Amino acid sequence: MYDMKVTEQHVDDLQIKMKAREVDVFYGDTHAIQKVDVDILDKTVTAFIGPSGCGKSTFLRCLNRMNDTIDVARVAGDITLDGEDIYDKRVDPVQLRAKVGMVFQKPNPFPKSIYENVAYGPKIHGLARNKAELDEIVETSLRRAALWDEAKDRLDQPGTGLSGGQQQRLCIARAVATNPEVLLMDEPCSALDPIATAQVEELIDELRTRFSVVIVTHSMQQAARVSQKTAFFHLGELVEYDDTSKIFTNPDDPRTESYITGRIG
Amino acid sequence: MADITDRVDPPRKTSLTQSSAAVARRKRADLILQGFGLGAILVAFTVLFILIASLVTTGFSAFVQTHVTLDVYVDPDEISEEQLPRGGFQDVLTDAMLANLPNADPEDDVRAVRAILSNGAQFALRDMVADDPSLIGQTVTMTVPASDPFDQLNKGNVDRATPEGQRRVNDREIEWFDTLDEAGMITTPLNFGLITNADSRFPELAGLRGALVGSFYALLTCFLIAFPVGIGAAIYLEEFAPKNRVSDFIEVNINNLAAVPSVVFGLLALAVFLNWFGLPRSAPFVGGLTLALMTMPTIIIATRAALKAVPPSIREAALGVGASKQQVVFGHVLPLAMPGILTGTIIGLAQALGETAPLLLIGMNAFITSAPSSPFEPATALPTQIYIWADSPERGFVSRTSAAILVLLGFLVTMNAIAIYLRNKFERQW
Amino acid sequence: MTLLAFALLLLAAVIGYLVNWRAARAIREGGQRLHSLMGFHGLFSLLMILVPVLTVLLLWLGFEGPVINRMILASLPAGELEGLGSGAIQLISAEIRSIAGGRIFGTPEDWKLDAADRLIALRTWSDILLVVVVVILSLGILLFSRSRVTADFRARQASESIVKGLMIACSVVAIFTTVGIIFALVFEAYRFFQIVPFTEFLFGTNWEPQIPIREDQIAAEGAFGWLPVIIGTLVISFVAMFIATPVGLLSAIYLNEFAPKTVRAVVKPVLEILSGVPTVVYGFFAILVVAPALRGTGADLGIDISSNTALAAGGVMGIMLIPFISSFADDALSAVPRSLRDGSLALGATRGETMRKVLFPAAIPGIVGGVLLAVSRAIGETMIVVMAAGLMARMTINPLDSVTTVTVQIVTLLIGDTAFDNPKTLAAFALGLMLFVITLGINVLALRIVRKYREIYD
Ligand SMILES: Nc1ncnc2c1ncn2[C@@H]1O[C@H](COP(=O)(O)OP(=O)(O)OP(=O)(O)O)[C@@H](O)[C@H]1O
Ligand SMILES: [Mg+2]
Repeated sequence: MYDMKVTEQHVDDLQIKMKAREVDVFYGDTHAIQKVDVDILDKTVTAFIGPSGCGKSTFLRCLNRMNDTIDVARVAGDITLDGEDIYDKRVDPVQLRAKVGMVFQKPNPFPKSIYENVAYGPKIHGLARNKAELDEIVETSLRRAALWDEAKDRLDQPGTGLSGGQQQRLCIARAVATNPEVLLMDEPCSALDPIATAQVEELIDELRTRFSVVIVTHSMQQAARVSQKTAFFHLGELVEYDDTSKIFTNPDDPRTESYITGRIG
Repeated sequence: MADITDRVDPPRKTSLTQSSAAVARRKRADLILQGFGLGAILVAFTVLFILIASLVTTGFSAFVQTHVTLDVYVDPDEISEEQLPRGGFQDVLTDAMLANLPNADPEDDVRAVRAILSNGAQFALRDMVADDPSLIGQTVTMTVPASDPFDQLNKGNVDRATPEGQRRVNDREIEWFDTLDEAGMITTPLNFGLITNADSRFPELAGLRGALVGSFYALLTCFLIAFPVGIGAAIYLEEFAPKNRVSDFIEVNINNLAAVPSVVFGLLALAVFLNWFGLPRSAPFVGGLTLALMTMPTIIIATRAALKAVPPSIREAALGVGASKQQVVFGHVLPLAMPGILTGTIIGLAQALGETAPLLLIGMNAFITSAPSSPFEPATALPTQIYIWADSPERGFVSRTSAAILVLLGFLVTMNAIAIYLRNKFERQW
Repeated sequence: MTLLAFALLLLAAVIGYLVNWRAARAIREGGQRLHSLMGFHGLFSLLMILVPVLTVLLLWLGFEGPVINRMILASLPAGELEGLGSGAIQLISAEIRSIAGGRIFGTPEDWKLDAADRLIALRTWSDILLVVVVVILSLGILLFSRSRVTADFRARQASESIVKGLMIACSVVAIFTTVGIIFALVFEAYRFFQIVPFTEFLFGTNWEPQIPIREDQIAAEGAFGWLPVIIGTLVISFVAMFIATPVGLLSAIYLNEFAPKTVRAVVKPVLEILSGVPTVVYGFFAILVVAPALRGTGADLGIDISSNTALAAGGVMGIMLIPFISSFADDALSAVPRSLRDGSLALGATRGETMRKVLFPAAIPGIVGGVLLAVSRAIGETMIVVMAAGLMARMTINPLDSVTTVTVQIVTLLIGDTAFDNPKTLAAFALGLMLFVITLGINVLALRIVRKYREIYD
């Protein structure tokens, strides 16, 4: 399989795409994450790692305001996208989510055809002027998600009929089709076999050329393979955030080191 | 993946706060959908409001009843002790009325004057005198119901401005009534007769007693049958039945039974209980039997849900100390499931209380002027009484129908409130 | 006497319990180890006595009336019942019964008085016999149960199998009910189709059941064609669904996706209240408020609306069905996994788009099941139409007209006169059979759809 190989990359000269400052999230009375500061760089893959329940998903959901859909969730602090406060009263979460897409841990294709699944976003956002353009977007997105060859002959069959790995790639294609600026992925490979995982990882690397990707993962190897920046969460706190190479070779915090080497988590 | 770069996506540099025309249009579509949804709910609310309002406005006047208080001279010429309970009670009352109406003609107006009082007045007087014959020759003061047209007049349901020919009381009758009113003889006390009287052809005398007793007997029968049988069936299906085609079939059967139209149960009762078994017609017992068959699926479904909700850990703990399966179920699981079962049962009984069609088919819509003294005697039930009154042409029955409905709804609300209380009180105690 | 029989039975059961309990205790005190607890020995005896004797008792009471009635009728002087229809015979036995009960109207013939005497005697004998049977049976079983008490008798298992048998019997009641319904309907309908040919009933366009009361017109042609009746039913159901479906679905959509918590907390109970209102109340509402209002509006607009218009009955029925459809649709929408909703929202869809394009389509099977169940309710609904729809069967699909329904005809045919050899009475059972078959078909289909739907998302 893969070695623990760390992608070398100079990230200093890239601009900051999203900036989070002092972010707290509460679920009712539980304080899920505390005082998190993170900068998400453009055209970069950022990995969130940490033990289960430490708040990775929670923080990820803050970035496109998916926490709004949970009644008990309350978010405090500042998060900006290209310098604009995304929690500003005047900001429409619908427009935000068009720019900050999301792929979930469990594949969730709509009970529609493969084509309709991918065309869903472009249709509602009016990205295609005609059928030909829509067809093109669908094809491009499926190709990017490495699903085109398997799906091109069954575009009108239900997306729920695909295998788990294919479903997840369909969901990625669906998210890519909206042409987001940031793509959030919450453990996108946890339901996939190694071959599909490799495909998705390759895909993430491709996606990095056009937008920034944030990925939550439980696999240290995966974080090391695909990301340039890594954030380590523990018990709702952001313990360390740095270049992936640094985190995996020479972490500052002893907790990070224990986690990397497998002593906690 | 060479063609990934085929498509050039110029970064969209729109601000998050400025919304494009397209977004505005999408939001409008959202609002329209929301508006329709809200409108739909408003429709439901409005209808409920109109329903309650129309029932209250027509029904509340039946909770009071116009009475006439008058001094009656129990004339020994008309009424003698030997002849009791026969006698000229009607005439005695008419005389008493005439005495208070100087402008009525004692010859020609007798019928009209007599009609001011309810037909029940003479029986009230008869019962009074029969109880105490020493009243003969004395003057007694009694308060008797006024007849329906004058009751309506007193309650303002008769528009005095309409032409005389189009109302049920003519000008002279109104004049007499006003005379009595000015003399302070007209009162409008609470109408206890609505609850204590049985049915009658005269609206001012008609009450719900027979229907209440009938409904009580029917519900009691229904409960005594449906509750044990329903629980027994539910326990077996949920806890003991092997999961095979037979129990599957029973389950499907029960679900379908719950959706069979109620009138079909009436047909069943008519053909089987009345025709084949020769059970008595119009009897609350038969009504209860029919309602039991209809309520059973509800109770079974509720009981199974309640049993399912008891966590397996409780079963396992009891089984672990060597109790038999039945001991566990009857000793531990059933008591915990009881609140849920009772809630479902009460809701089922509330449905049964409002059920009308099957009772019509077994003849519980008969005109019966006394309350039944056993579940095997002919009776009506609350909903069938409502149906009978709704079918009666007299004006007084309209408000009585509404009043009866309010009584029925009162019972239903109480029953449902108890069910909700039980549900909340015992919700998840483990 | 009946009460005495019950009391004796109860007493025997209690005694049986005590006897076995003491016998078991005696064995234990004799130093032996009991296989089952003493209480189970008692319970065994109690159940052994109670269950069979109670069954006998109830069966006896159930069949006593009909059997005695047969015996009385058989004992009547030859010729008295000659050539009489079953209605007349029923009247005679009713008269005999009321004479026996001491209510004599007019001067009955002597043979009726004799019959009444025989009836009283038979009843007395039956009662005495019942008590004797109960006592003998109870005592016999009591002794038998007592003889079973030994140290290693498995009393717990024995009583548990009796209890289990009881529970199985309870479960089977549901099946018996269905069988009873089918049997009663088919049997009476079969008798009807012997008088009126099935094809005539099924394809006839004329429904005038009042005509055949007079014997010579029983075969009056086309009088029992059910088409206008079922068409009227469909018209009213259509009006009802036309109102209930959009209002119910829209309110479910609002409640499920848009309503703030507080609104939901108020609206849900109100809808529950609406669904708990008995249909006789809706029927009265239809004649008190809706029909006059419709007529008035019609008069203002210059349209002639019948006072029994299908609009009034159908409209009120629609109102009745709103909460039913709404709660069903709400459940179906809630059953759609949250992940689909999140997936759509994360793509930048609005809540309305999510509802219209993802949640609602995903919930359609469940919603269709609910709507079908509502249709079956509309077709089988009785009181609203009995009170607000017409009696005359007419071949029309105009909802402004007065139409009649299957259930209205069943009720009007059976109220009052119920002689079971009259085609008028039997026609109600034929209609009932059709109603049962139609609603059962819809229900089975709907429940199957709903079940499948639940399986998808479980
Ligand atoms: N909807 C919710 N309501 C209440 N509490 C929640 C909710 N979602 C998450 N939490 C709590 O917030 C904390 C953080 O959860 P989160 O899902 O962000 O963890 P995670 O790091 O993603 O874990 P995992 O790696 O297992 O996915 C947990 O303690 C969890 O119990
Ligand atoms: Mg997570």
